[in-house]
Amino acid sequence: MLSLEINGLEMRYPGLAAPVLAIDRLQVPAGTRLCITGASGSGKSTFVNAITGLERIRHGSVSWNGTDLTRLSAGGRDAFRARHIGLVMQDFHLFPGLSAFENVVLPVRLARRLTSTEAQRARFLLDVTGIARPQQRIETLSRGEMQRVAVARALLLKPGVIVADEPTASLDSQAGEQVSELLVRLSREERATLIVVTHDPALAARLDRHIRLVAGAIVEDKEGVQAP
Amino acid sequence: MIRFILADLRRFGGGALSVVILIALSVALSVAVTLQERAVRLGSARAAEKFDLLVGAPGSETQLALSAVFLQPAPLPLMSGKVLAKLAADPRVALAAPVGFGDSSFGFPIVGTTTALISALSPQLADGLPFSRLADAVVGADVPLKTGAEVKPMHGSVETGGETHTQIIYRVVGRMAPTRTAWDRAILVPIRAVWGLHGMAGAEAHAHEGETHGDEEPGHAHGQGDEHPAGSEPAGEHGLPAHPEAHGPQDDDEADEHGHVHGHVDADAPLDEHFDAQTPGVPAVLVKPKTIADAYRLRQEYRSETTLAVFPAEVLTRLYATLGDARSLLLAIAVGTQGIVIAAILLVATMHIGARKRQIGALRALGAPMRAVVILVWGELFVLFLAGIGLGGLIGLVTAQLISARLTAATAVHLPVEFAQEDWRLAIGFVVAAAVVSLVPALGALRLSPAAALRS
Repeated sequence: MLSLEINGLEMRYPGLAAPVLAIDRLQVPAGTRLCITGASGSGKSTFVNAITGLERIRHGSVSWNGTDLTRLSAGGRDAFRARHIGLVMQDFHLFPGLSAFENVVLPVRLARRLTSTEAQRARFLLDVTGIARPQQRIETLSRGEMQRVAVARALLLKPGVIVADEPTASLDSQAGEQVSELLVRLSREERATLIVVTHDPALAARLDRHIRLVAGAIVEDKEGVQAP
Repeated sequence: MIRFILADLRRFGGGALSVVILIALSVALSVAVTLQERAVRLGSARAAEKFDLLVGAPGSETQLALSAVFLQPAPLPLMSGKVLAKLAADPRVALAAPVGFGDSSFGFPIVGTTTALISALSPQLADGLPFSRLADAVVGADVPLKTGAEVKPMHGSVETGGETHTQIIYRVVGRMAPTRTAWDRAILVPIRAVWGLHGMAGAEAHAHEGETHGDEEPGHAHGQGDEHPAGSEPAGEHGLPAHPEAHGPQDDDEADEHGHVHGHVDADAPLDEHFDAQTPGVPAVLVKPKTIADAYRLRQEYRSETTLAVFPAEVLTRLYATLGDARSLLLAIAVGTQGIVIAAILLVATMHIGARKRQIGALRALGAPMRAVVILVWGELFVLFLAGIGLGGLIGLVTAQLISARLTAATAVHLPVEFAQEDWRLAIGFVVAAAVVSLVPALGALRLSPAAALRS
């Protein structure tokens, strides 16, 4: 399980005077289930990019269990993310033409040879996420099933943290409910920290710490399960 | 990795296919040009192998070689029959055979020659016997005439408005084994029959009387050699003169409305293959010298004011140089085409990468290392290139084979389409170029930051 520590983080885009994200100090202990909310343009996506190392950080530091992402090269950040961060995105980013199983193991296969333990775990995760036919082509699945495959993919390498960016935004409420339940349950079972960016009150309600961003700054940070 | 590449290519099946076809066609052009040029070169060299030395009247060396080796119809000047007699008696000569062209039948050239040349071309006949009478004929392997079939000779060819000789009808008595030369399409008849048919006197003397040579019939000023002891005859329409000027007024040959003069031919006259000073003129004599040294000496000797001696192989070598120039030009065009094709493919690939930014960004976000992304983009394009090169090689090979088959059908010269050592270098060159070109969009994909790619 990973803990997150942010110090003096400032993300700016060229041509914009104000930083899109400015977090002076934030600590997320290991095992936290954190919810980030905010209007669009509040800096939520930039927050995700910063903590996952998708974007280079020029000011401040972002550390996972003491590993400072700002000290890593682009390739180093890619490798760290691959190994320690399970990413779930709004648009799934699954690859048509491949089966559910192949999609789960694709990131590993692109980096190296898949071990039999990993193949076994992939099948286990697909089972847990309720995908009945792992060999089925991904494009023939429903959207809810697709996001569940994406969750299985995020968990393959037992990441210390799951970062989910609007995981339910493109699903209907029932499928969103299933995915929300799955994320919370699996983060607990797999012993991973969970950081979710969402507008979905049903999902937010399942999480135990809530941060609200406005114009790139934290304006609210509350502990405890909220009523939906 | 390869499964992902293939799955990805399947998604863009139409585009991938058109890229493959584009590459294939441009590669096929180079392959076909290379193979065809080699086929013509090898095939004609092999066809000329049996013809060591040619002696003819002064004129074009190339025409002499092409006419005698490839039986290409063309007006050839005649040289004195004495040359033939002299060559036949020369101890350095293993074989000296006259070659007289001019007639054709069913579109196949009729060549007047001797049984010695038949044995040289086809030591074992595929069928039947060599000719023994003046009206006997032996056909090449590709001539669709059965033994016993009749051959009505036509002066010139149908295309040139030739007329049929009526004095003789040849009968096929034998068939040569395939020689893979133009002679597979030839109808071989005794040279004396050709002479006789064209009213060339010396032949008649022999044909009629079948007696000792050198006899002259009064009124016949035979033997062009006598008339032009040091020079060649003016060219007839097809190697043999249609108007032998040696006829005297009391000549009993009939003259038709075209002014052609025809001789009498006794079809059953026995074969006479002995040549002397009174032998009529011939366009060419095929000579097989006993040794290589003899070949060079003979060529030297017969390069004079009255005769021309050539090694067909040497003439062909000169022609190949021209062929090589043509190939260089065609290859340059092919390479230019490939340049355009590569530019088009790079354009398509770059646009394609632009459209796939999100996918590439997602792969990186999900933890695929940069090298995997590079290999993926590179691999996709490289697979298309390989498929195109493979397909192009195949199309080129089939094209060359089709062209060769058509040429062989027309000329009987077997044109072998085959790969050679240097083709591997060409193939490896193509593959290396493909590998390098494929890197361009792959490196382009690297410049994308995953976050930026995902946002787009």
